[in-house]
Amino acid sequence: MHSTHHRRLAFAATLPLMLGLAACSTEAEAEAPAVDYLSLSHEELVELAEEEGSVSVYAFTSRIASIEEAFEAEYPGIDVVATDVSSTELIARLASEHAAGSTTADVAYVSDAPVVVSELIAEGVLTSYVPPRVADSLAEEYQAPLVANRLSTKVLMYNEEAYPDGSPVANLWQLTEPEWAGKVVLVDPNVRGDYLDLVTEMSLRSDEMAEAYQAHFGTAIELEDGVEDAGLQFISDLYNNDAILVDDTDTVNAAIGALGQTAPPVGFTSYSDRRDNEDEGWALQVAAGVAPSPGIVFPAMLGVTANTQNPAAARLLIDFMMGDDTETGGAGFEPFYVAGDYPTREDVVAPADALPLADLGGWIIDAEASAERRDDVADFLLVIQ
Amino acid sequence: MGLRRPVTWLALAVLALLVVLVALPLQALVSVTLRPDGIGSWADVLASPLSPNLLWQPLGNSLVVGLGTGLIASILGAFLAWVVVMSDMPGRRIIGMLATIPFALPSFAIALAWESIFRNERLGGNPGLLASFGIAVPDILSWGVVPVTLTLVAHYYSLSFVVVAAALANVGGDLLAAAQLTGASRLRVASRIVLPVVAPAILSGFLLAFAEGISNFAVPALLGLPVRFQTLSTRLYGSIATGDTERGYVLSIILVVIAALVLFTGNRLTKGRSFATISGKSSPPRRVDTGGWKWLLLALSATLVTATTIVPGIVLAVSTLLRRTNSFDAGLTLHYWLGGSDPSIAQGMRGVLRDPIVIDAIGSTISLGLSVGLGATIVGLLAAYVVGRMKRSRVIGGSISLLSYVPFLIPGIAFGAAFIAQFGAPIGPFPALYGTFTILVIAGIAASLPFAFQTSRSALGQISPDLEEAAVISGAGTARRLGRIVLPLASRGILGGGILVFVTMVRDLSLVVLLVTPATPLLSVMTYRYASEGFTQSANAITLMIAVVSVAATLIARRLQGATQPWSTK
Repeated sequence: MHSTHHRRLAFAATLPLMLGLAACSTEAEAEAPAVDYLSLSHEELVELAEEEGSVSVYAFTSRIASIEEAFEAEYPGIDVVATDVSSTELIARLASEHAAGSTTADVAYVSDAPVVVSELIAEGVLTSYVPPRVADSLAEEYQAPLVANRLSTKVLMYNEEAYPDGSPVANLWQLTEPEWAGKVVLVDPNVRGDYLDLVTEMSLRSDEMAEAYQAHFGTAIELEDGVEDAGLQFISDLYNNDAILVDDTDTVNAAIGALGQTAPPVGFTSYSDRRDNEDEGWALQVAAGVAPSPGIVFPAMLGVTANTQNPAAARLLIDFMMGDDTETGGAGFEPFYVAGDYPTREDVVAPADALPLADLGGWIIDAEASAERRDDVADFLLVIQ
Repeated sequence: MGLRRPVTWLALAVLALLVVLVALPLQALVSVTLRPDGIGSWADVLASPLSPNLLWQPLGNSLVVGLGTGLIASILGAFLAWVVVMSDMPGRRIIGMLATIPFALPSFAIALAWESIFRNERLGGNPGLLASFGIAVPDILSWGVVPVTLTLVAHYYSLSFVVVAAALANVGGDLLAAAQLTGASRLRVASRIVLPVVAPAILSGFLLAFAEGISNFAVPALLGLPVRFQTLSTRLYGSIATGDTERGYVLSIILVVIAALVLFTGNRLTKGRSFATISGKSSPPRRVDTGGWKWLLLALSATLVTATTIVPGIVLAVSTLLRRTNSFDAGLTLHYWLGGSDPSIAQGMRGVLRDPIVIDAIGSTISLGLSVGLGATIVGLLAAYVVGRMKRSRVIGGSISLLSYVPFLIPGIAFGAAFIAQFGAPIGPFPALYGTFTILVIAGIAASLPFAFQTSRSALGQISPDLEEAAVISGAGTARRLGRIVLPLASRGILGGGILVFVTMVRDLSLVVLLVTPATPLLSVMTYRYASEGFTQSANAITLMIAVVSVAATLIARRLQGATQPWSTK
């Protein structure tokens, strides 16, 4: 079966060119002694960054525009050039630029952690910078492979208008029963990476899935032929129960959440989309407490590009986006301070109006383990369709 | 082929250009799948337990959708072109104008219009119009092959219309008059004279609609996925989006091969026949007296353009005014157009007309559209010219035809990556083009070549070689013949192609997403960005602006064509 973990977008045609550039860059490095950015004081970092004068960032969210404004207000001498593209394109673009040796961004703000691990970090396109100021308040898993500033979710949600007494589902395995036939909506995991991560996590947590099966049905799970674990058995049973696949999260939200429905479906989407309930006429609520878990929690990460022209300004921007020392993270974190998303820093208080992370019960994904498993899971999903 | 003929040199120059613009990106795509860590993807796709769901079933679906779209769009487009150009139907000018608009609307707007009427309760959420009146809509009308194909037809029949109308306008009245004088029946005139002379145009329209039909992603994703109707394009997009780039590239190479087969079959069917109708002597077109039938024709044409132009246009316009996405519950608002930042609406997004970046983007979008329209038209015209004049050199002609046809089928992300590889660093004395406006123009030309080439080929196919031969005898060189004979005579078809290029360029550009810089904001990139973040109204408002720009461009081009316009002659 298919198992390619190292993918690059380098082209044979550019090889001589790359060699030439590689030669140039080693010369340059020999001239300028490397700066140890981790040992600089904040003032020293700002001074170096102001000498550089600008920093370019690729981000997967349009909220980067607010960061640009806030950063330039804080450091008027440094111009932020922000480009926002989808995570998939961002990764392809960074990899191609790296291979071609062309001008590139200084900072990348990316989701899709498992792909980042296998395509960017393994290939040396992105490097890590954990601002020393915040290192103490960050758990180990949010410092490597790259520093993460916040967590997003893909979790089971339901319509709280139609089900006012709380989640109609207490155990994920209920979704494979006739009662929920044709009434579970999710984005096709073969089309979107974050949903593939969700299914991959179910496979990685197959012991918990098996336990939940036992708790619900009273018997131990029996795997069908060709099904490797309880997590994959769940998704196979879910597909066989006429689960509805769609192309984007908003379609899921509208299907589950729209007001005025009598027996609406449930489905997997982002907890933070609940903030649009009033705006969009939805009644989305998270199915917290569902066994074994309502879904996944995954990081948005910040990295410095290997060929950065503005190494100090790049680090200063990452430092800024990790938030200041106030309870809400201040201006650098403000666009991301949203109920249903979670700051990674322990000293930043999570927004009110949403369950604390611990009560949500989501699985926090391990990017490296996920990167290793997800190709096989994607193949499995293709076979059972 | 003689190296002394200037046309040979021109052919080699065109080929070299196409190699840089199309063949190298294609080769890059192939080489990624041939590397040690990518080669396994071929086996995965072609012969593994995954193949049925990854390749064969989606392939079958793609062929049904592509051929269905191509055939139905050609029939509707040709019918409408005939009605508008050749009949005495009342209101043909306005019908002719409306028939060019569906192409300027994004395909998802037409899909949305379909959904707002036919959506059933399978998916939950808000049902469509029919279901809300209590009419049970079967899944087959709501989801899957039928809505996907019909939606694409509604979008692409206008391609066929533009190409065929231009060709029909060149069928001189004298030709028809001669036939009628010799006693040919009306049916005979239609089947033996009119149809054959517009055959290349119909073929061009079919080829374009087919290629667009099999490469479209938005429509099958929206209307197909809920019943697990997968096409090669949804599989291709999905593979790349979930990090399995090589597999996506393999699927795209398979698409290119299929397109090549269809292209060569099409060319074979029309091979060895002459469609030359332009003899240099103009005679006003002759309109067919359709008698009482004209009202039926009007009813049919009006229904067609209303369903595909006015309804989706209204759906799109209304969607920008809804306080809540796709729902009337919370009433109407102009906020998404004119409002200032209000933290309680759409996370404080300003109305699009208040956003200076949007205003900037209008300018750069139009200049990109114009530059690409001009560039692609020149390249496409030269390519079509040499293919037509070098009929005996199959290799060169075939290569040029193929390279000018496949850019639709190369995924934008692969195109973009290849351009970064090619132009990312300085080449010799040339500076690195990456990150400049120039590279957007170059990439845009490459991506929109199929329109420019197919429309030019159809237009040139009608020009009698006698004219050029006469010019050769009187001593005119290639450049002079192109400028003084070919261009003026084929101008109508070529301009039509230029408009198609402009419209695609301002409308959708998955390709450019990888190449844009913050210095050149583009409208299409902004819609994409807003749509992906769930700001549907703002995204649709910008989409509507794109449609307005496209329609305005179409109308201005019409004005420039002036009296040569087929449907403006009395």
